[in-house]
Amino acid sequence: MLKYIVRRLIAAIPVLFGLSIILFAFVHLLPGDPTRAILGQHATPEAVARIRETLGLDKSLFEQYVIYIGQLLHGDLGASVITGASVASDFIARFPGTVELTLFALIVAVGVGIPLGRLAGRHAQGVTDGAVTVISLLGISIPIFVLGLALQFVFGAQLHWLPTSGRIDPRLNIPSTTGFMLIDTLIAGRPEAFLDAIKHLILPAIALGSIPLAIITRITRASVLDVANEDYVRTARAKGLTERRVDDRHIMRNAWLPVVTVIGLQVGGLLAGAVITETIFAWTGVGAWVVEAIGDRDYFIIQSSILIFALIFLVVNLVVDILYAYLNPRIRYA
Amino acid sequence: MPLLEVRDLVIKFRTHQGTIHAVNGISFDVEPGERLGLVGESGCGKSVTNLAIMRLLPKPAGRIEGGTVEFDGMDLLRISESEMRDLRGKEIAMIFQDPMTSLNPVLSIEEQMVETIRAHRKVSPAEARKRAIELLDMVGIPKPETRLKAYPHQFSGGMRQRVMVAMALALEPKLMIADEPTTALDVTIQAQVLDLLRRLTTDGTTALILITHDLGVVAGMTERINVMYAGYIVEAAATGELFDRPSHPYTVGLLHSIPRLDEDRPEALIPIEGAPPDQRRAPVGCPFAPRCAWRLDRCWTDNPALVALVPGTRVISTGPQATHQIACHNPATPAEAEAGRPLRDGFKAAPMPGAIAEDLAAAGTPEALEAGVPAIASATAEGGDSE
Amino acid sequence: MTTVAGTLRSVVDTRASRGLWRDAFGRLLRNRPAMLGLFLIIVFLLGAILAPIVAPLGPFATYAGASLKPPSAEHLFGTDRLARDELARVLYGAQVSLYVGVVSVVMGFSIGAIIGALAGALGGIVDAVLMRIVDVLLSVPGILLAIGIVAWLDRGLLQIMLAVAVTNVPIFARLLRGSLLALREAEFVTAARSIGASPMRILMRHMLPNALTPLIVATTLALATAIIDVAGLGFLGLGPPDPRTAEWGTMLTDARSFLQRAPWLLLFPGIAISITAIGFNLLGDGLRESLDPRLKR
Repeated sequence: MLKYIVRRLIAAIPVLFGLSIILFAFVHLLPGDPTRAILGQHATPEAVARIRETLGLDKSLFEQYVIYIGQLLHGDLGASVITGASVASDFIARFPGTVELTLFALIVAVGVGIPLGRLAGRHAQGVTDGAVTVISLLGISIPIFVLGLALQFVFGAQLHWLPTSGRIDPRLNIPSTTGFMLIDTLIAGRPEAFLDAIKHLILPAIALGSIPLAIITRITRASVLDVANEDYVRTARAKGLTERRVDDRHIMRNAWLPVVTVIGLQVGGLLAGAVITETIFAWTGVGAWVVEAIGDRDYFIIQSSILIFALIFLVVNLVVDILYAYLNPRIRYA
Repeated sequence: MPLLEVRDLVIKFRTHQGTIHAVNGISFDVEPGERLGLVGESGCGKSVTNLAIMRLLPKPAGRIEGGTVEFDGMDLLRISESEMRDLRGKEIAMIFQDPMTSLNPVLSIEEQMVETIRAHRKVSPAEARKRAIELLDMVGIPKPETRLKAYPHQFSGGMRQRVMVAMALALEPKLMIADEPTTALDVTIQAQVLDLLRRLTTDGTTALILITHDLGVVAGMTERINVMYAGYIVEAAATGELFDRPSHPYTVGLLHSIPRLDEDRPEALIPIEGAPPDQRRAPVGCPFAPRCAWRLDRCWTDNPALVALVPGTRVISTGPQATHQIACHNPATPAEAEAGRPLRDGFKAAPMPGAIAEDLAAAGTPEALEAGVPAIASATAEGGDSE
Repeated sequence: MTTVAGTLRSVVDTRASRGLWRDAFGRLLRNRPAMLGLFLIIVFLLGAILAPIVAPLGPFATYAGASLKPPSAEHLFGTDRLARDELARVLYGAQVSLYVGVVSVVMGFSIGAIIGALAGALGGIVDAVLMRIVDVLLSVPGILLAIGIVAWLDRGLLQIMLAVAVTNVPIFARLLRGSLLALREAEFVTAARSIGASPMRILMRHMLPNALTPLIVATTLALATAIIDVAGLGFLGLGPPDPRTAEWGTMLTDARSFLQRAPWLLLFPGIAISITAIGFNLLGDGLRESLDPRLKR
């Protein structure tokens, strides 16, 4: 088991390495002079000089890369070309917002997706199965931006049941201690604000979680169907176990495994989808930040964000792989 | 008083391609403590029969459409599901062909054995565990206390099958059904597992139905054998009697297609020509007719019933005195059985009547391609070696 | 195999099979969700093709004084902020989606196939390096990758197509590589060769049908995601550079500003994208089911 973890960690290194090279090239392979390309119309002489120094453009490409890696390892992600603010600190300020949204969406996807898939698997080919299949088809096919806008329209503009933008009612004035709105409201001792924050989370989480929900439902259903046909399920019944026991201990325990892997992959999709979701719902997170940065041609923000997202994605997948190995005795005791 | 009485059992499967007539009205008995062999090729209905006894047919495709199954006085086909569940594992136990896929890969052996025991007896986990160790020991697994915590993939094939046997016998069932228990194992391990089964069923407390396609397997293990073909029992006899006097052409064919090292036969192996019948149609006439070298005209239209080989004998269905029964219009004589082909002067197997050939051709079955006599390979020496 | 399922299969499959493709095609035609998907795709294609006929004035034409009008007899889908006919824009938008979507997938397929084929055929270092590159591409999730590329290369139709293509490269690379690896190691290749069958025949008769199925399925599903991704880029402001272009995603950005006043601006492009995606997804799933020779379910 330990060997497995170490092996996976080692395998992840070249990927990060490759990614950093590509992102490094990102800035340096821009057509024309990198400084002009980065700064565009913001090209004041001071800014140009600053960039030249930061990137060390007079040095060789290799040295520049080393400098770049060095900066990364020191947590120096560069500065915003527009505001000059440190990318790293801005990122840390906005990251909790994305995490909260992504986590909530994941909870929705898993919390609804797995039971739904299980239900469909158990009553395969029936009406429930049909309905679930349709729902998951819609989930995959309706893009986040369409769903998000539709939710805003129906629940916000028309029914006025739920708020459609921001993380919380700004009038509530919650001090940002951790950056996690749900936690901050509780720390401030304001339960009504906590509720408000939850209300703000609902629509974006549904929009963001729709695709993972659909996929998790499908995989769970397929997995349950596969496992239900396995010989050991027949053995379990032949031993006289109750259906409930067969379902829980024999079917689900095995059906879990592929689902766990898929959840890991979905986190990547959630990070990607967060970009769009945050834009629609005016959510102060990293996603919307990246979109603004793209509009502003703020390269360091874009570059660092992608690197960090990739890092998160890799870490999550590593954790999922380890979890899978732990749950599957064939790998644990290989 | 037989432990198990099966009467006129009919099983069908509904698939996209139509209905499959898997079992077409079979009847047999098993006495307490008796060991019965059920022999036949893939698709003949032997496994399906036993799944039906346990009411474990795959739903919704598999349906029992007729007959009764009486076990210990209860009609298994009429009792409720929860009563059936009570019996499974406790009174009737089943072991399956592939021990790798028949054990849950994510649960330890201990967990799987303990749950079997505790499903039917109110014992503490510790007591169940003790019993599990006893059982593992009984089936010959070394160091059972340590092996309990292991997972199925950490055992070899033979060991896994022993575990399955241990689980099956955990609650001392009255009947154990072994569905091709050795087919997925290496030959040397096969012998060990069969030995084990024999040892554990010798004392007569547990009856055994041994299902296999291999006549060699049942030879040393069973007291009686039923030969099945296309959902029918075609021959039934005490084991010794069956090998001494095989009379149904199919049984004869089976015996002649087994390579044997101990006999010095000059002839080549005689395969049974043709393929198993398409069971999507209810059979017209004897199902073995297209492949039978002994067939008469009436074999094409008239499906023979299972009756005593020696006409007029009283039928005893179980035990060592069981009557030799056969379903055939033209059984093979002992000399013919020895030779593997009909020995009567001028006898030719009756050709397929036109009407039936057209019928089969219209259905697009492989038998339509076999109009005429399926020539059994000539029994003359080929190179002089038996191969 | 003498399990009951095995028995069923062996009995049922003795029927003479009339050719793998004809069987599969027949199954596909009988698969109702797949046929529904095909129908929706045809609707999409018709929309794109018939655009000039249904809306002869084009997607840029404005109708004086008719800005933000709800659906009516003259404007079946209403009008947008700049008084352009929404129906025309949706239909011409189908053209853009079709064009960009198809080209992206073809590009992604080609690049991915080459990478995968090289990796699978050459093995060794080449394989290792190429697959690491693929892994790097996979480490950045979906649309982020596309965003990154478009941001890097500036806006432009070609850049968008390239960006979406790159997100598809890993899928096809892996598929091709897998097929080639299977080809190299297939036992029946050895067996066939040992009886003198030429490798070409083996390739055509055995490997190709097996390898083609996942490719066809993957391509169809890739089209669904491509169309969504292109619209997504458009929504984020990374769409075609000409702001007048009728592209579904950019149309939705406009819809956002007038959500309450003019919900039809969301409804029609939204339905258009969704229906197209549903169509490709249904067809892709149906293809997967019917081309798979194992009769599961």
